[in-house]
Amino acid sequence: MLAIVSTAMQILTQLVFSGIALGMIYAVIAFGYQLTFATSDTLNFGQGDALMLGALVGLTLVGLGVNYWLMIPIVCIFGAVQGAFVERIGVRPAIKIKSEFGWIMSTIALGIIFKNVAENVWGRDDLKFPSPLPESPLHFLGANVLPMEILVVVGAVAMMLAVEVFNRKSIYGRAVVATFNDRDAAKLMGINTGLVITFSYALSSMSAAFAGVLIAPLTLTGATMGAVLGLKAFAVAIIGGLTSGMGIILGGIILGIAETTTGFYLSTGYKDVPGLVLLLIVLAVKPAGLFGKMAIKKV
Amino acid sequence: MKFNRRTLTTLTLATALSAAFPVLAAEPIKIGVDGPFTGGSSSMGVSMRDGVRLAVDEINKAGGVLGRQLALVERDDESKNERGVQIAQELINKEKVVAAVGYINTGVSLAAHRFFQEAKIPVMNNVATGSLVTHQFDDQPENYIFRNAAHDSIQAPMIVEEAITRRKYKKVAILADSTNYGQLGRADLEKALELKGVKAVTVEKFNIKDVDMTAQLLKAKEAGAEVVLTYGIGPELAQIANGMTKLGWKVPMIGSWTLSMANFIDNAGPGGEGARMPQTFVQEPTTPKRQSFIINYLKTFNPKNARIDSPVSAAQGYDSIYLLAAAIKQAGSTDGPKIKAALEDLKTPVEGVVTTYNKPFSAKDHEAITANIPVFGEVKGQKVVYAYAEDQKVASQVRVKDVNAKGALTVKK
Repeated sequence: MLAIVSTAMQILTQLVFSGIALGMIYAVIAFGYQLTFATSDTLNFGQGDALMLGALVGLTLVGLGVNYWLMIPIVCIFGAVQGAFVERIGVRPAIKIKSEFGWIMSTIALGIIFKNVAENVWGRDDLKFPSPLPESPLHFLGANVLPMEILVVVGAVAMMLAVEVFNRKSIYGRAVVATFNDRDAAKLMGINTGLVITFSYALSSMSAAFAGVLIAPLTLTGATMGAVLGLKAFAVAIIGGLTSGMGIILGGIILGIAETTTGFYLSTGYKDVPGLVLLLIVLAVKPAGLFGKMAIKKV
Repeated sequence: MKFNRRTLTTLTLATALSAAFPVLAAEPIKIGVDGPFTGGSSSMGVSMRDGVRLAVDEINKAGGVLGRQLALVERDDESKNERGVQIAQELINKEKVVAAVGYINTGVSLAAHRFFQEAKIPVMNNVATGSLVTHQFDDQPENYIFRNAAHDSIQAPMIVEEAITRRKYKKVAILADSTNYGQLGRADLEKALELKGVKAVTVEKFNIKDVDMTAQLLKAKEAGAEVVLTYGIGPELAQIANGMTKLGWKVPMIGSWTLSMANFIDNAGPGGEGARMPQTFVQEPTTPKRQSFIINYLKTFNPKNARIDSPVSAAQGYDSIYLLAAAIKQAGSTDGPKIKAALEDLKTPVEGVVTTYNKPFSAKDHEAITANIPVFGEVKGQKVVYAYAEDQKVASQVRVKDVNAKGALTVKK
């Protein structure tokens, strides 16, 4: 009896661990949605494609012989430039004319363009991203975890913390927060809100590009990798709340664990359903997201 | 007609061309090629297309068919059913092809073939394996769909035979993707297992682009599976192998022929070693014909590491053109019904890479490959080799079609 209970526990632990790893992948992408929403009330629907570009640029650099760890800052710079480009081309014109929906179409369009460019440059096959860490699993509490999965969790949390600290402590970060609170007031106070918004897009795509190279060794790399992940991350952003960093992490973990446990205990055919049902419930009951309010208080 | 600059240029060009080639009568015979040249199935699509190109090139150099050159009209269906439908209509109505070869994905085949059936244009399906592909029009007097690939009703029993009879496993798990291909294959596997009196301990599903297989694999592990039978395509199959490595649970993978895809072998790395799958062709120069095919393929297309991405697709693509050319030659015409009639009654054997096709088709039977032709391949050292040394030893004796070969499931529509 005890043996049965302990194997059942082991399975649950394994499912939870895999769910957390999967959820953090979603969370780290969802974080990018949050960054731009915080300053401009707009979202970059090409977030998944920013992630894909980051991963593919990273793969090319690694192929050229650049060390994985050295490659990360280069990819981050690339991501920042790409994000600033998206804002200037797609979002700024829409904000200028106070268009409600223009930015939705233009960020989606830019995302598709990036995907097509990537297909032409890198082809459409899924490529292997060499893992910088050993690929043999570690044993932890009776479950197996890949070193790379731990890196994703640590990397994601570190990145979010870094951005939060930046926003709260530095003068630039305060400008970001001020822009979020009241764009017009911030403008009157002498903050260049346009620049702040560009900056937030750069930061958002940078985090996506970073996420790309972080998760690529686990997910396979290819022009189409962003589509499904970007969509799931969007669900996470809604569940967790677009204004809460904490909510994004918890939302990601909830969705990840929901997927793995449903797959095991219910049916692998339905593993995507509970997460989406949760999304519908959250939208109906608490449209700001599970943790939406909390974050507003924090600011 | 409005006369503008564009029509003028076209006219000038046309005049110039007709002056350069006075023999307009010998216009080329157009053959449509449909396959996914991009996306997760592209290693099969591109290898197939290259095999087709190689065969057409050889035939054209030798003078063509009926004194006319063969011309290919290649289209990328991106593994999408709706693209396949558009392409079928384009090939038939706009390009006016004489016949079509290709089709990798069963779903795309089923969606697209009915247009060729209606237009009475033969299709030589050279890669898609769904059992239904050649039986879609069983209720009609004529069927224009032929195939020279090992269909699932052959593959599924082979996989089960390998797992249950040869390697004596008792507890099997089935992991199949949620596409037409995966789910039809899963049904065939269950049927074949039933014939052996075995029921899978667990049957699991996964989606294209899934990145985590923990739940599926844990279920198989908990059910005590000794072997995992797979029906899916390369990238997700690689995630299964990687997931096993992660869970520290390693049982053999035996599955449909897609386990030989380059994007499985590359992405699974060491985790993919030992995977076994039925193959109609292994990249080994076991006959002079196969040797020259491999040499020419590597010389012309120069694939990475001198490894054909999907040797089976390349070989079947190559053979499909020779079968079609033989039928056009025998028919003495490019008329669809006449080519079809010739295919159903080919008088002279066609020497291909996979086998020598001696009366490969009849009015009732549109499958060129029977259960005795495929062998088991195994991933070893990042390429596919013969799984059994005795198969390799006798590989130079070409296995030919045997309509009485045992092992295939009967297909009912």
